[in-house]
Amino acid sequence: MTMGGDSPILELRNIIKSFGSLVAVNHVSFSLDRGRLVTFLGPSGCGKTTLLRVVSGFAEPDEGEVILDGQNVTRKPPNARDTAMVFQNYALFPHMTVAQNIGFGMKIRKKSREEIDSEVKRLLALVKMEGLGERRPHELSGGQQQRVALARALSLHPKILLLDEPLSNLDANLRINMREEIRRLQRRLGLTIIFVTHDQEEAMSISDLLVVMDQGVVKQIGSPTGIYEKPADEFVANFIGHINFFSGEIVSFSGEEMNLQIAQGGLRVKRPSFPVSPNDKVKLVVRPESIHLVDAGKEEGRVENMIEGRIEVAMYIGSIIRYTIRCGEQIIYVDRSDPEHAGIFQEGSRVGLILKKEIHMFKI
Amino acid sequence: MEKSFFQTLAKDTQFLLRNPGLLITTSIAVILLLFFIVFPIGAVLVKSFTVTFPFVTVSSLNNVSNKADSETMVTQKILASLKSIQGVTLLEATTEEKRSVIIVTFQKNWDDLKCLNDVKRALDRNKGDLSQVVEKISITLGRKTVNSLDTYIDFFSKKYYNRALRNSLTLAVTSTIIIVFISFIFAYLSLNGPPLVSAPLRIVGLLPLVAPPFIFSLSLILIGGKQGVITKAIHSQYHIYGWPGVILAQIITFLPLGYLMIENVLRSLDPNLDEAASDMGASPLDILFRITIPLAAPGILKAALLVFICSIADFGNPMLIGGGISFLSTDAYLLWTSENNLEMAAVFCMFLVIPSMIVFVVHEYILKGKMYTTIGGKPQQAEKRKISSKIFYPMLGFATPVSLLIVVCFGMIFLGAFTKILMINNTFTLEHFETPNGIRSLLSSLKFALGAAAIAPIIGVTLSYILVRKRIPLKKVIESIALLGFAVPGTVMGVGYILFFNNPPLKLTGTFIIMILNEAFRNLSVGLEAGVSKLHQLDVAIEEAAIDMGASTFQTFTRIVLPLISSALIAGFIYTFMVGMIAVSAVIFLISPGNYLASIYILNVAEEGFLGMACAISTMLIGVVLVCLGALKMLSRYTKIAVFARGY
Repeated sequence: MTMGGDSPILELRNIIKSFGSLVAVNHVSFSLDRGRLVTFLGPSGCGKTTLLRVVSGFAEPDEGEVILDGQNVTRKPPNARDTAMVFQNYALFPHMTVAQNIGFGMKIRKKSREEIDSEVKRLLALVKMEGLGERRPHELSGGQQQRVALARALSLHPKILLLDEPLSNLDANLRINMREEIRRLQRRLGLTIIFVTHDQEEAMSISDLLVVMDQGVVKQIGSPTGIYEKPADEFVANFIGHINFFSGEIVSFSGEEMNLQIAQGGLRVKRPSFPVSPNDKVKLVVRPESIHLVDAGKEEGRVENMIEGRIEVAMYIGSIIRYTIRCGEQIIYVDRSDPEHAGIFQEGSRVGLILKKEIHMFKI
Repeated sequence: MEKSFFQTLAKDTQFLLRNPGLLITTSIAVILLLFFIVFPIGAVLVKSFTVTFPFVTVSSLNNVSNKADSETMVTQKILASLKSIQGVTLLEATTEEKRSVIIVTFQKNWDDLKCLNDVKRALDRNKGDLSQVVEKISITLGRKTVNSLDTYIDFFSKKYYNRALRNSLTLAVTSTIIIVFISFIFAYLSLNGPPLVSAPLRIVGLLPLVAPPFIFSLSLILIGGKQGVITKAIHSQYHIYGWPGVILAQIITFLPLGYLMIENVLRSLDPNLDEAASDMGASPLDILFRITIPLAAPGILKAALLVFICSIADFGNPMLIGGGISFLSTDAYLLWTSENNLEMAAVFCMFLVIPSMIVFVVHEYILKGKMYTTIGGKPQQAEKRKISSKIFYPMLGFATPVSLLIVVCFGMIFLGAFTKILMINNTFTLEHFETPNGIRSLLSSLKFALGAAAIAPIIGVTLSYILVRKRIPLKKVIESIALLGFAVPGTVMGVGYILFFNNPPLKLTGTFIIMILNEAFRNLSVGLEAGVSKLHQLDVAIEEAAIDMGASTFQTFTRIVLPLISSALIAGFIYTFMVGMIAVSAVIFLISPGNYLASIYILNVAEEGFLGMACAISTMLIGVVLVCLGALKMLSRYTKIAVFARGY
């Protein structure tokens, strides 16, 4: 067994998996360093769960290789892999107590009774379930069942912990608590975790690394901030957070900056990292919170990168206020934080929208 | 605060009395249940605790002058002449001046006519002596029924009675264990095996459903009986009659029941549990023994209990292939037909009822709700995994011979039907089909099954509506009674009907209608249970909406509820029809000349050795059942009503 510190714990090489004519996972390659929490994120049916099942061994890929800690485990059954899965419905054994559930894997491995007992005790404490070992799964709340499932998965010290939409059956508050707890546990124990979810907020808040998937294909791999600020394409941009798009055409360059023409007027922005030339069409991606709003009547003279609009809806959401603004043909969303302090524009009022100079864009 | 039982009872009764419509419907239902289920079973219970003594009263008008003469010249002489009669237990004499009355009491259950004739003959022998002093002599027969435990004492003290109980229990336990084992294998393979194995197993596992329950005895006799194909081929003295035959026949007969139930249980298990165990390092064998079997255990036990009830109540197989071994159900019949000993038959019935009741109570009250269901969330669609060869081949090793036997059994029936004498004269013939009585019995069977199928689901479904939706007192008791008809072995219901419907004004024995009613009330439970589960799925708000629009309870039931739960009615209809076509055990007691049913006719001709004819009628019976099922399936496609909702 190689215990190389730097080599990735998991490598997926060109994985293809199809069900009949449906290609669930299409040429996916990806590597994961130990001690990280990676999230497979995407809409339902994007192939994220199938990819997880390829890693765990429940689905055998049609093509490609799964390398776990330097070993090729592609053809190994789940019970011969050092991975542990927490199922969406927890899959606790209803005919066993909590303690028996947690101790099941160790029992299969013929560990001594004392060893199992003490390990179960430790794991129960780890997930804050002390004293509930003799309960049956149906006597537990959803959150408690989740903790038991987690403890059971941890009992075999897996190289990778696989969590399949683990929080989707919990109610909103509990979901946030649990995800924080999973993150804390992961940091404390240095666990390597693959987390599958369709909830982008959950994914953003918990992960070191995001793998955004759509229709069996990996769209983008990156850190939460990287993906949020610089989505690779329209799908990713749309899927992660709220977003405004502007279609534009490059007019001219001047040094590090360039002039763009969009439907609502001219913009002067920083040149993108990819090569561009005049007349190229680009799509600008602007997050609602990165647009500055000013009272259209108050601003005298020409302000750079300002477009005009009229507020159609002002929706107060507590921490922010979200404006729906009509700018010509287009609807633009703008979020303003701290509305109490910043003041609220009335619906119907005319405003100026000021865009930053640094705008993420991609060619179309 | 928890209301006491009596408070609830009082409240419910008050409610019932305020609703005349409900009161009338409920009363009718309860009266029907009492008359056609409770009282007949009660009659068996009462009969088992009684003993009947026939007695003959001899009274003479004496031509003497005083009492002393009467005593010496008549009474003593008559007494002397009667002493030597066989079976007399008591002679009581009273003498008056001109009269002598002698009551001759015989042993219990002594044949009435024999008593009468013996007394007459004895008196005739002394005619010469008596004729001078006796003016007139009259002899009358009577029966004295007393409450007594004697029949039970007889049962336990005489080996040829109580061995029937031992044999029946041994048979039921043995068959149940084997059937559950094989059913599990069939269910497991048909769910997890490769398609090439699972598809045929599913068909073979259900095949025996379309055949009369004893048809496999018939084919086993054709194969291994004294003149059987194999017996002849190897010139063996060995034949299959007796234990091996009955057990083998029961395995095939009741396999579909066990298979259907266990398959249902296995199918409902959450596949994620298997995966979780596999993920924790469990091997396929670990999963089978630590996860699948423990999880399925309550369901398997349920299946075992039902198979047990069916096995102990089975009539046709022990009758045909039992080779004279005593079993409770068949001996109860023989006690009635050959000895007219209904008291002992009733005791036999009680010993049939007791195990069935225990099983029924365990099934209804202890196991109910003990099933393991998925906890939280929907199970992930699991990819079907390849079955481990360590499980597959051993299981296949058991499933293959059983499957082959089932197929061969069916084949033998057809071969037997179309050959002169199978293996002796294998020429093709249709002569076995030329049986006017057989065809007449088929028509009777059709009438009988359709009649029962028309009645049972209507009562069952109506009852389910009252029980689920209405407030009536003693719900649980009423439901249990309705299910009792199914739980109590057919032999018991048969004897019960003979006892209860044999006296005016309810003298219905010998009529066709009593056979139909018997069959209908024995099958209430299917319509009832289908109705209950359907109603639980149906939102009460739909009915409330109808009432809100001004519909009465009756209109709501007929216009809203019935159309919505029609599948329960149809399920009840199909089930009752199929069971009716192949019914044996209860109706055999109620059969009367001219009302022969095909299934019983087959049994009779088979017993008399006309195996070819038995095969031919069986073939026709299977044909009729299949044609009717096909017609129903067409009907369901045409009307879009889910006819085959219950897996038929």
